[in-house]
Amino acid sequence: MTSPYQLLGVAEQSTDAEIKQAYLQRVKDNPPDRDQKRFQQIQQAFEAIKDGDSRLQYGLFHLPEADFDGLLDSAFGQASDFQPLSEDDFCKLLNAVPVEKALANALANKSS
Amino acid sequence: MSDIIIGIDLGTTNSEVAIVENGKVTVISEAGKKILPSFVGIDDKGEILVGETARNQYLIYPERTIKSIKRLMGQDAQVVMAGHHYTPQEISAIILKRLKTIAEQYVGQAISKAVITVPAYFSDAQRQATHEAGQIAGLDVVRMINEPTAAALVYGASQGEAKRMLVYDLGGGTFDVSVVNVQDGVVEVLSSHGDNHLGGDDFDQQIINHIQDHIREQHGMDISEHSKAMARITRAAENAKLVLSDEPYAQIEEEYLLEHEGAPIHLTLELARSDYEEMIDDYINATMDAVHIALKGAKLTVSDIDEIILVGGSTRTPCIRERLLDEFGFEPHGEVDPDLCVAMGAATQAAMINGQQIDTVLVDVTPYTYGTSAMGYLDGEPYPYQFVPVIHKNSVLPARKSEAFMTFQDGQREVRVSIYQGEDPDALNNIEIGEFMIEDLRDVPAGNIITLTLDLDLNGMLHVSAREKATGLEKSITINNAISRFETEALSHAKQRIDGLFGQKAGDETFSKPDSAAVAEARKLIKKAESLFETVSAEDKEDMVDLIETIASGIEDGDDNALQEPVARLNDIIYYLES
Repeated sequence: MTSPYQLLGVAEQSTDAEIKQAYLQRVKDNPPDRDQKRFQQIQQAFEAIKDGDSRLQYGLFHLPEADFDGLLDSAFGQASDFQPLSEDDFCKLLNAVPVEKALANALANKSS
Repeated sequence: MSDIIIGIDLGTTNSEVAIVENGKVTVISEAGKKILPSFVGIDDKGEILVGETARNQYLIYPERTIKSIKRLMGQDAQVVMAGHHYTPQEISAIILKRLKTIAEQYVGQAISKAVITVPAYFSDAQRQATHEAGQIAGLDVVRMINEPTAAALVYGASQGEAKRMLVYDLGGGTFDVSVVNVQDGVVEVLSSHGDNHLGGDDFDQQIINHIQDHIREQHGMDISEHSKAMARITRAAENAKLVLSDEPYAQIEEEYLLEHEGAPIHLTLELARSDYEEMIDDYINATMDAVHIALKGAKLTVSDIDEIILVGGSTRTPCIRERLLDEFGFEPHGEVDPDLCVAMGAATQAAMINGQQIDTVLVDVTPYTYGTSAMGYLDGEPYPYQFVPVIHKNSVLPARKSEAFMTFQDGQREVRVSIYQGEDPDALNNIEIGEFMIEDLRDVPAGNIITLTLDLDLNGMLHVSAREKATGLEKSITINNAISRFETEALSHAKQRIDGLFGQKAGDETFSKPDSAAVAEARKLIKKAESLFETVSAEDKEDMVDLIETIASGIEDGDDNALQEPVARLNDIIYYLES
């Protein structure tokens, strides 16, 4: 899956203004009237990383590697009684949250 | 070549149709007039009247004439015209049909597609009704765009640098305000707010009330039952309002308004601008409150705005300009005629949809929050109708959002889903715009997951679906206001009925009656004359308009001989002007 940064073609260190400009350029090339799906992807990507707050949130809570729903379903699914996750799956869930990296990025952005 | 798509501004008081030719936007005029009053009537011979003629008839036969139908769009209402009942959609369709014909005569070919503008703050039901009006008129409505957005498109197209604009759109019946960011060829609406029932008609009504009070005081009678007298003072009030845009005082005079106890009543009344401004002060305050709500929605303040754009005839009211100047500290813009701006934007968007090269891309938002109700809490107490927003106000269109809900009773086999539009945490204080049942759910303990998906399309119309997660059982609807909605059959019936009024066979979509050589030449000449209007003196223009009207009526009567003389004279004037 492409990250919003890749989709808009910007670096993770980009400023708000740079991200906005990249977004507008993408919109210009893909107007909502021509291809709605594509436009919605661009819009969602932009909203995920448009300012410091949303980038921090994206960094903290976006879970690229884990099928969060799947893991939760296997633990709490209605078909069966509660089944604890295996050790491996639990680590997967934990590792999916790159807290340190996201915090470091956010702090770097704030100070720059 | 792809089909022509016209842009239509279907207004409360006036309507216009525009088209993009060779990259240039033209508001199409008929007999020298670009504005078609949104009046519909049936004359004493049973002929249908649209525009100026219907507007004139209103004074003599108010019961045969309909005005301001846009205010009733989306409501379960009917109007009576010459003894027959019509829905608001049908009356609007008559206006659309007229605009369609005007455009067809201009381009000389049949037209079946249109972009129609609606107030940004129009609800789902009002948009649905507008869409239906288009269908009844034989138009495929390829897109509905918001009026202030259309205006921003016209102003935004010429912008080099990034700018934040506030569009203040006060029409005959509706008020919209939008905050727009224009940058790198993208016109991006950041927020919209408004009022569906606030406009110049309300200003007129204040003056009408004033006149009625005056007559009651002077003559001790109530004239509200006298439809002709009321029609006259309605027109007089409107005229006084227009005068007060330029003058400090307006004289209202209507002789022989009606008879009372055998004596004629003459109306003579002076209205001062300051008194008028006091009458409409509450309305202006309401628009300013909306301006601040829109700014807040865009997370901006007054000082972030670079330009104000005025749209709609009612923005000619001087105190509106003054209030905006006070609030923002600079003069609002109105270079593009506030009556024509919206139609021009609609035509621009039509060209864009049609694949023509247009330098400006539009990104719009919804002015409403849409959601559902669920068991929850209100003020800390358990409450069965807590409003659960799904698509938030000012979300970019198209928007698609899902929300998961759980059944709350063991063995619950069905769920009633209600969809609301509004901002109140108590769903019952919002407008319910539709509901449906999901049945045959699995017989399982409470906690069966139902996913609700709301889809708001580029027209601002809502589609809803719900799915039982475990089985994939799905139920979907397009939200149509169940009350005002036309079934497909009723729609085609309405179309036949309206076609009948125009003396056409139902389903007769072809642009019949080919023009004779003389008529074709006359039309070309009119087009040429109108293109010179901008540059000629008022006197020449008047002569030309007179001739165009004579020629137009000759074309209408099919009398080629009657065309010769005025055509020759118009030709002379053009020759003289061009040399």
